Amino acid sequence: MYVQLFFNHEQIRTMSRVKRRTTHPPYWHVLKNVQRGDEKISSDNLRFVREVIQDKYKNKSPIKGSDLDIEKTEWDPKTKRSGVIARNIGVQHMWEKDGKKVICTVLHVLDNHVIRYVPPEEYAKSIIGAKVFRNRKPLGCLVVGAEAANPDRFTKQYCSLFNEVGLLPKKRLARFIVTPNAALPPCTPLTAGHFVIGQAVDVYGKTIDYGFQGVVKRWGFKGGPASHGATKFHRRGGTIGTGRDKARVWPGQKMPGHMGSEKRFCRGLKIVRINMKYNVIYVKGTVPGPTNSIVQIFDTLLPRRKFTEAPPHPTYFPPEDGTLPQEDIWDSNLHVFGSPSISV
Amino acid sequence: MLRRAVLQTFRQGLAQSFFKRYAVSLTETTVTHQPIETSNEAGERSVPTQKTGDESRNTVVVAPPEFRFMYPEFLPDPAMETRNRLREKLERMDMLQRRSVIEIPEFYTGSIMAVTVADANSPNKFARFVGICIQRGGSGLRAWFILRNVVDKQGVEILYEMYCPLIQKIEVLRLERRLDESLLYLRDALPEYSTFPLDMEPERRLNNSVVPINPLKVKLRPRPWLERWERQNLQGVEDLNLPQRFYDKAEKVAKPWEKYDLMLHYRKTIPAEEQEKIFAEIHSQLQQQELKRKLRRRRGPDNEQ
Repeated sequence: MYVQLFFNHEQIRTMSRVKRRTTHPPYWHVLKNVQRGDEKISSDNLRFVREVIQDKYKNKSPIKGSDLDIEKTEWDPKTKRSGVIARNIGVQHMWEKDGKKVICTVLHVLDNHVIRYVPPEEYAKSIIGAKVFRNRKPLGCLVVGAEAANPDRFTKQYCSLFNEVGLLPKKRLARFIVTPNAALPPCTPLTAGHFVIGQAVDVYGKTIDYGFQGVVKRWGFKGGPASHGATKFHRRGGTIGTGRDKARVWPGQKMPGHMGSEKRFCRGLKIVRINMKYNVIYVKGTVPGPTNSIVQIFDTLLPRRKFTEAPPHPTYFPPEDGTLPQEDIWDSNLHVFGSPSISV
Repeated sequence: MLRRAVLQTFRQGLAQSFFKRYAVSLTETTVTHQPIETSNEAGERSVPTQKTGDESRNTVVVAPPEFRFMYPEFLPDPAMETRNRLREKLERMDMLQRRSVIEIPEFYTGSIMAVTVADANSPNKFARFVGICIQRGGSGLRAWFILRNVVDKQGVEILYEMYCPLIQKIEVLRLERRLDESLLYLRDALPEYSTFPLDMEPERRLNNSVVPINPLKVKLRPRPWLERWERQNLQGVEDLNLPQRFYDKAEKVAKPWEKYDLMLHYRKTIPAEEQEKIFAEIHSQLQQQELKRKLRRRRGPDNEQ
């Protein structure tokens, strides 16, 4: 019977060598922002450039659902719908009908448009697609863009990504894995109505950057005693290995270092309120990332919180007879602010 | 951008409005505002349709400058990392919705208030507490205030969240201000300064446009205290009668340069232009709600007759 090791090295070893963050983008990334110095353009030329841009994108008006030729596909429980790019605009406190306070994160769905749909066969041939679908049936990929910006800021290569579609270049791009029956044609707008009240969503974003942090904050070590004669040992790690086994520090040993600024998921967050006018979703709980950071929202993976009824499939379109949707939709459990006070 | 001239006028404006509110009676004709439309659905609209600026007429809606003292929770938290205009706007809309249901009166630290809360464990299902407001804070829907009273020789403090839907009624029994913004020293004061009868009747205000400042100087119990009151420049406390070493240490630790630190005050406050915009947005809705309440109060006794 082996003597129980002081450290569970099996656990640490799987996390070693995993590169958690890089400062450079992947090799296939198209150069986005224009790398130019202080160009001294005359005001006349600037005006001309702006006119050219306006002419090019002049006739792009928001496309209605009826104009797009979307195949009327059926929803089934195995469908994966598109996700949405949103901005985390902060936290608001709300109350349930029994008076319990609920902390809700407010997510502002930006002006999302579908840029491209990559069918499963093509996506499985790409490098990332091959890795993801090595042992399973390949699915399609929707490229969605958000936050239209002045094309002057971006390189020609980056703008060319949007030329086929004829959209203003977007500041943010994201890929969502979808089943073929949830494919959307390019230029489809995605709004807050894509989601349903009471559904669970996963939110994917970059966590708060804490910088270089010590071992107590980063790994939750207990440190040392604050008093009772402890000399210079209050927030340190203590021992980092035994003398005997392997006689060195194992890779993955928890030490101070950079903390945060990592892409993480928050799964199973419930949607409690949707504001269709301002395109805002209120989600119960908190999401990764600081206020005003960009996140991706999509239907949850968690098996017990998935859809039982069909959601707006493949996405939400305003009704064709011109009736406006209800502006502010609340969960049945939530106390609406305009309604009378709660009496228990 | 820091513009000294604007900042000075802002601070002058603050001081002026402070004095106007509490020293001199104000007439409402100094403020230009659009004529009020009293409609039945005004309080129930989720989106404020009152548009400021030159929409239909040439007058610009400007709220009276006292709004920043009467409704401080409408101003957002000045910390730039968490500010977002859209979220603040949505929060203000929710706050106005809640205010259309319940009257949240104007109050300050030092006012004596009574709050009725829905409580499942109470015999009547409602719990009423009377106390003096010793501190208020928070912004938006998180706004809170603490009421203190001494009940059966036991000091009791309760923190109420202003926009919690469990609150049935907030009454101000005596509207007044004290010499300090925070009355936490009442915890170390003699109990008679924190005792108020639980069946206190609301007092009628003699002068509606001026909020009186109570120049009461409170006597503290002998040390030990919960905080070092000699270091806090309290105006509302009697002479502490401490040995000189306490005052010497307080001087060593003091930061007298902070009152000259313009950037510090700039970071702690919302700029004047933004404050005006915010209060102009909510001004008309608040006025309409007040009018509706006045009408209801007038109709109430008439109906009974």
